[in-house]
Amino acid sequence: MSLLSVREISLSFGGVRAISDVTFDVESGELFAVIGPNGAGKTSIFNCLNGVYRPGGSIKLDGRELTGLTPSRIASLGIARTFQNLALFSNLDVISNLMLGRHHLMKTGFVAGALWAGRAKREEIVHRRRCEEIVELLDLTPYRRQPIGTLPYGIQKRIELGRALAMDPKVLLLDEPVAGMNLEETEGMARYILDIRDELGVAMILVEHDMHFVMDLADRLLVLEFGQVIAVGTPEQIANDPNVIRAYLGEAS
Amino acid sequence: MASDAAPKLLPTRFSRVSIALVIVVGILVPFVVSGDFWMTVLVSAGIFAMGAVGLNLLTGFTGQVSLGHAFFLGCGAYTAAYLGADQGWPLPLWLIASGVIGGVVGGIVGPFALRLKGNYLVVVTLGLVFIGIHIFENWDRVTGGRDGTSTSKAELSLGFTDFRSFSVPGKDFSELQGLYYLVWILAGLFVLVSANIVRSRPGRALQAIRDRDVAAEVVGISLPRYKIGAFVISSAMAAMAGAMLGVQQSFVTPGSWDIFLSIQYVAVIIVGGVGMVSGAVLGALLLSLLPEIVKKYSEQLPFLYEVKSDGGILSVAAFNEMLFGALLVVFLLFEPRGLAALWLRAKTRLRTTRPAP
Amino acid sequence: MEKFLNLLVAGTALGSIYALVALGFVVVFKSTGTINFAHGGFVLLGAYLTYNYSVTWDLPFIVAMLMAMATMAILAVILERLVLRKLVGQPAFTVIMVTLGLLILIQQVQQSIWTDSDVLLDDPWGTDQWEIGGVVITQVRFFTVLFAAIVVLGFFLFFRFSAWGVAMRAAAIDQEAAMAQGISVARVFAISWAIAGVVAVVAGVMLGADSSSVNSTLSFTALRAFPAMILGGLDSPLGAIVGGVIIGVTEVMTTGYIEPNAEWLGQGFHSVMPYVVMVAILVVKPTGLFGTRAVERV
Repeated sequence: MSLLSVREISLSFGGVRAISDVTFDVESGELFAVIGPNGAGKTSIFNCLNGVYRPGGSIKLDGRELTGLTPSRIASLGIARTFQNLALFSNLDVISNLMLGRHHLMKTGFVAGALWAGRAKREEIVHRRRCEEIVELLDLTPYRRQPIGTLPYGIQKRIELGRALAMDPKVLLLDEPVAGMNLEETEGMARYILDIRDELGVAMILVEHDMHFVMDLADRLLVLEFGQVIAVGTPEQIANDPNVIRAYLGEAS
Repeated sequence: MASDAAPKLLPTRFSRVSIALVIVVGILVPFVVSGDFWMTVLVSAGIFAMGAVGLNLLTGFTGQVSLGHAFFLGCGAYTAAYLGADQGWPLPLWLIASGVIGGVVGGIVGPFALRLKGNYLVVVTLGLVFIGIHIFENWDRVTGGRDGTSTSKAELSLGFTDFRSFSVPGKDFSELQGLYYLVWILAGLFVLVSANIVRSRPGRALQAIRDRDVAAEVVGISLPRYKIGAFVISSAMAAMAGAMLGVQQSFVTPGSWDIFLSIQYVAVIIVGGVGMVSGAVLGALLLSLLPEIVKKYSEQLPFLYEVKSDGGILSVAAFNEMLFGALLVVFLLFEPRGLAALWLRAKTRLRTTRPAP
Repeated sequence: MEKFLNLLVAGTALGSIYALVALGFVVVFKSTGTINFAHGGFVLLGAYLTYNYSVTWDLPFIVAMLMAMATMAILAVILERLVLRKLVGQPAFTVIMVTLGLLILIQQVQQSIWTDSDVLLDDPWGTDQWEIGGVVITQVRFFTVLFAAIVVLGFFLFFRFSAWGVAMRAAAIDQEAAMAQGISVARVFAISWAIAGVVAVVAGVMLGADSSSVNSTLSFTALRAFPAMILGGLDSPLGAIVGGVIIGVTEVMTTGYIEPNAEWLGQGFHSVMPYVVMVAILVVKPTGLFGTRAVERV
């Protein structure tokens, strides 16, 4: 059984179909990419996967149905994501942002937190250690105590990746992780993504515009056009797929 | 690795020494200040601090603006009057009961915050104040209706200590001085509780919701739980502050719990520092001391009068209210993070001008 | 039936005052996105200025009101310029608290200038009343509705047909696009505040007439128009009018029919009825009857 299996999900906004009958599987440890032109429904698929939208069809993680659950519940079941336009907690420092990723793994409630006795403190220490590891993995050490609103964009992208990783996810959704980055930053991000797959074995779904980036990185790709799947396969298969060539290079070719 | 440690409340020696100093000075104040005038002011400041610490959790840390604080304060005051004075419950019980009642009421209002944000939440909580006054005016059996009700019989003793009259060897304290200790002990506890919440999991969740609620949900934070939770804690603290306010005023009337009181509490955290635990205390001290200082020295200011026949342009009361409104506007325009931010900046400047050790 | 009609008349009169106050809130909200609490202060000052010009200076009532309108328009524009303009782009919380600060300032300024606690406008509209088939219409109520209607009509003509009215509507829909078309958003802000100031004068005078004296609690009474504004939809002028009338009628009907039959609700329940209605609306339909802007501003 696949780690994540998506079956015929569909979504409409006021009668307009954003996604129709999208089906795919992601295996554990796999780097899976979703590509397609603007408005093809890539981000909408993410929003379905993590419960922001409620599509028809079925999404199963480890055999467990996710459709109909709240985003916070789905997060705690093991789906983490980053956003196309950063969604960090900008008044908090790097460590606190990462610690928020571990929110669902912790238990301290209002009362225990207020008393700061026993578990609250122990838990804080244990999870902080894990966050420090992620800080090191992503080379964020110089920034760890700074409120992140003031940090450069490329660093913030990395912090957001760190926050998603801190959730100990089964599946990590990366929405255009290199959008707006220069070549050097893009290569850096590619390296981090590969590190994450090799060292942590987390399955990842990547939405991206940058074709080179995706073709180099992904194990398999799904190509989306007007909310429909036009091809799924390895980078070589996709590169030679007539439907993909038509969609990307236009009728003229 | 130092980073393994949990975050400390007072990370530097400087902060530890200053807090210790503040506590020592706080304990010594009644030994030095005996006049009722300043004691009354300091008791008011302590009560302000209690309620404002709670409001800061809701508004400063969770980003939910409420003008309903006066209603929660009122709930506490009437609980103190009814259970403490009328039914004769002991201090810990009526105080906790007022907190519980405040918390329950907050838990009923909180769900509105799930659907409404910003402007709308302000308007709803404002409506709450008007509805609250109506209830206080009409639930005669408990609140004494429009005539109000007395709290002077409420018990103020804990174990062997009766805060209305207690003594240490060599010193007898007045009722006001006793009240001073009681409210500031409570304010200190509230500060500690809220600082602990802020540095642990629930407090981080609140701040995440403030900064970006959609992202908060996506990392697994349940919005209902924390938004309502913030309301419950904040209104429980407000109600306990209200209970002490009722005791201080010794008589509780419905008119006291109006929108102006709510505005005052919001002003305290704005002037003190929104989203900083110490802010509530700093704001409480400034906004309670300043008007009294003006009153005290109004004779030196020719344009002010206390009695109209003295001449002058403005009454002291009017001037103080204007000062209050002006402080609110000026801080929001020029220092929206309040006194606490001013203090932080001054501290860094002190540090940086000193050569590094 | 006679009772119902009498209450309907009273409710409509009260409602048209609420409508005027709510209109002032909505005009500013629509163009600037701010709930302007200081508007309560405008209503208060408007009433006192009219009193000052007409009673103290002994000018004809209409002249006095027009002068008060001019004064308030200028004052509102100055406040917008000096204070609110600096807050563009700040969170709603900041702006609201600043307007609350201004409300307190205005109240104190009023109380320091006019130290008498209650003043009378000397019934410029006369004290007669007409009776039509058992329904009593006092002149005060007649003029209240008439004045409100004139102001509302004037506002809608301005809003629909004048160049600045069109500019205001454009800016309300999309500020950046409006700027790209050469509309001065700063000017739009100033004009909407000026309109709020003008409308506040009429509302203040009517509110003073309704409670038979002008006093310093008027600014808080004006906040009773919030439910009207929420019912109509925060950004809809038409909604403010309809909401105002509905709330006014509801309040008076509560006095006439609910209070006598449900004493447990307490004395003066009618004065909180608007808030009860408001809370119900916000739960059921937060955008109000005519509102368009999404409530949730993420």
